[in-house]
Amino acid sequence: MELKRIYKSSIFLKSIFVVSIFVIFFISAVTFKHISLVGNSSSRVSHSYEVSLELERLMSYIKDSETGQRGYLITRDSTYLTPYLDSKKKIDESFEKVKKYTQGNRLQEHNLRKLEFYISKRQNYLSLTLHLAMGKSLSDKRLKEKFDIGKQTMDSIRKQIDEMNLVEKKMLKAREINYKDTVKVTPVFIYLTLLVTLVLISISYIRINKDLDRLKMTNNRLALLNESSNLAENVGSFGSWELNIDTNEYTLSDNNYSLLGFKPQGFFASQENFLKYIHPEDLNSFKEATDKLVKNVSLPPFTYRIIRKDKKVRYFRTTGRIVINKLGDKILIGTNSDVTDEVLASLSLEQQNLELEASNKELVAFNYAASHDLQEPLRKIQTFVSRLSEKEGNSLSETGKEYMERINNSVERMRILIEDLLQYSRTTKNEKVFEDTDLNELLDNAKLDLAQFIEEKGAKITNQSLPELKVIPFQIQQLFINLINNSLKYSKAGIPPDIKISCKKVTAADEELIPKSNKEKFYKITFKDNGIGFEQEYAEKIFVLFNRLHNKNEYEGTGIGLAICKKIVENHRGFISATGKPNAGATFTIYLPEETEN
Amino acid sequence: MKLFIKFDFNTVCRKVLEEKLIQHNIKHKILGFGEVDILEKPDTDVFKAFAEELKGYGIDIIENQKSVLVQKIKDTIIEMIHSPELVNVKSSVYLADKLSHSYGYLSNLFSDVTYTSIENYIILQKIEYAKQLIVSTDLSLTEIAFQLNYSSVAHLSTQFKNATGITPSAFQRIINKRREIANKK
Amino acid sequence: MDKDYIHIILADDDEDDRLLFTDAFDELKINTKVNTFNDGVELMDYLNTPDAVLPNVLFLDLNMPKKNGIECLYEIKSDDKFKDIAIAIFSTSSSEEHIEETFVQGANIYIKKPSDFTTLKKVLAEVVTINWQYHTSGLNKDNFLLRL
Repeated sequence: MELKRIYKSSIFLKSIFVVSIFVIFFISAVTFKHISLVGNSSSRVSHSYEVSLELERLMSYIKDSETGQRGYLITRDSTYLTPYLDSKKKIDESFEKVKKYTQGNRLQEHNLRKLEFYISKRQNYLSLTLHLAMGKSLSDKRLKEKFDIGKQTMDSIRKQIDEMNLVEKKMLKAREINYKDTVKVTPVFIYLTLLVTLVLISISYIRINKDLDRLKMTNNRLALLNESSNLAENVGSFGSWELNIDTNEYTLSDNNYSLLGFKPQGFFASQENFLKYIHPEDLNSFKEATDKLVKNVSLPPFTYRIIRKDKKVRYFRTTGRIVINKLGDKILIGTNSDVTDEVLASLSLEQQNLELEASNKELVAFNYAASHDLQEPLRKIQTFVSRLSEKEGNSLSETGKEYMERINNSVERMRILIEDLLQYSRTTKNEKVFEDTDLNELLDNAKLDLAQFIEEKGAKITNQSLPELKVIPFQIQQLFINLINNSLKYSKAGIPPDIKISCKKVTAADEELIPKSNKEKFYKITFKDNGIGFEQEYAEKIFVLFNRLHNKNEYEGTGIGLAICKKIVENHRGFISATGKPNAGATFTIYLPEETEN
Repeated sequence: MKLFIKFDFNTVCRKVLEEKLIQHNIKHKILGFGEVDILEKPDTDVFKAFAEELKGYGIDIIENQKSVLVQKIKDTIIEMIHSPELVNVKSSVYLADKLSHSYGYLSNLFSDVTYTSIENYIILQKIEYAKQLIVSTDLSLTEIAFQLNYSSVAHLSTQFKNATGITPSAFQRIINKRREIANKK
Repeated sequence: MDKDYIHIILADDDEDDRLLFTDAFDELKINTKVNTFNDGVELMDYLNTPDAVLPNVLFLDLNMPKKNGIECLYEIKSDDKFKDIAIAIFSTSSSEEHIEETFVQGANIYIKKPSDFTTLKKVLAEVVTINWQYHTSGLNKDNFLLRL
């Protein structure tokens, strides 16, 4: 979040930078233009002065030539002719200069042309008068005429030069005003530029400062996080690692080193160096697993052994996955955890389980063999007793006959006991196959099995339709037989038993009897009878092996039948319970999971 | 490969009997229900050879009059069970009527010769027929019970279990498993 | 009736059971001839002799030394010459599954050894009678399954 903001702010700063540069460029261009404008104006001013100056000069040269000519005319001394001749050249030079200075100014050019005309006219008259004077006296009338025209021309020149000077002066004045304006505006502009730049720089400064603060805070938080993750790694004895697949750069967290028995950064972090500490027997499986990781992007945890620096063997569990960073590098990140305690505990648990299973199997086998083999001699005792009473019965006394009867009863009871016990041990032997079975058929079979007893008792059995489930068919049939048999056996004297079997599908959460952790769906099958019932306080006791609620002379029973029921239901990962009320009947409820096999 | 064959015992016997009679040139008329009228008494040697050959097919010539009557009783019972229109008829009446003897006489005679009662024999035959239907048809137990005039499946199942000691569904399961094993071989 | 007796064989390692078995047939009015063998090996040796008289009904105890009843059943069922013998398993109690399995393997009759002599006689008489009916009434022997 924080990083994102900083990232965003860097875009902001960049744009400010670009805008500032742009503004500065713009402003400097404007400033440059202004300064060059100022320069221009001043040069124009000095230009105007130069033009005036040159015009004065021109005027003086013309005067010089006139003075020279007059001197000559008066003195006839040819030395006065020298300034006249010199001035002619100077006038030309000066005129050229003025022409050059006023180039481009159409008004002045026009004036200049007029001036040129007057100047050449004046010079013509000067030379004409000079020529005329060479032979005649000064008082000649024609000469005087020529003098007058020359004087007029001279006046025109003076007038023209004055005119030009006036124009220049006007221009100068205009330019001075213009220059003054420009000189006044330029600092304002520069000042404004500075101001804008300053504002931009301040904004950037504030922003940068803010970002720096945020960065500092983030860094602090990161450092804290790093510290706590280090602590977590220490406490949880695991370490994290990173491998950049593209650059093959390997990074191990500090705890990784300590897990291997090193100080932090105790060896150069590289995959090759890490592989050195893996138990040689597990090296191949480790390589296979990491190869798979690269292919499958993520890696289910796998366990292997490592040998620490101090030669101790520990169990490591590694898990990881591939992430791709912003630069597009594939990076493998993961954790190594030391699971030695866990592995050892589960190993010993496994061992204990095996032992327990073995002893349990032995017990079951013993129980089975004992009850099975006990049957043989018992059956013979019964057979021979029956033969004895059949053949020799008549020669026995009444007491003898009664003893025979008692022997018979005891032996018969023992037979039933052994048979039930055998049945019980068969249900305990858990090597049964689950098959898809229609429970209705099993119930029908159970009823068939008890047909004679049912008829004797005149019992009525009604049932709702039962589901088809994956069960051990013989066991469920036995369960139904035992439950119905139980109801028939403990029926009220003189009242025909009425057994109602109902069935419905329920969810574990809705049933009190099923632990809440169970999320499965169950079939709830209830057997309700109108028999003698029982006190509710015995509801759990009746499922315990050899537990009977009645005197064996009142009701026959071995106390095994319901224990078998419980065993069968447990074999199917189900639950059984009983509720009862004396003289009001009993209800047996069994829950069979929808998915009986795990 | 294994074939499962359903056959009519009576037809087979009749066919074999007819072939052998013709082969030995014995003038005859087959009356059905295991009874043949010999029109002209053949030589003792020929008759002996004929009887011997029939024995090879498991067919015995019954000479004793009592045995003949017992055989007739058995044939009549089988006929009753197998024909849909006779299945509702009371067997004691039908037997007495068909064989022209009182039911009491027939019943005693039957027990003397076979060590079993007519009633038991009828049940045995009905159950056998039910077995045959289970094995060789796709009929459900309900349909079979109806066809054999049982009031309900439960009735059929009870009688089946009483007669054989196992339930019809167990019977079906056993036969199916036997076939599976046979098919694997 | 051409053959005037029913031939019966019992293979059982228990001497008392063999005695009771023959006694029961002696007391029954059916005309039978009973042979007994002490174990599966003795039985199979006899059955495999060329001039052995094959029984109508063979009673097999399951729990026998050397060769048990199930092994004998396998051997008999895999040999075609024994196909007419009705096989009765004669055993102390067994589980329902086990009983069904012996039927699947080809046994025709399963008898739980009764615990009194009268019942024994009754049961044996029933076996012989029903077997006789299968023999004489042309019933399908493949469907001969009986549990007592």
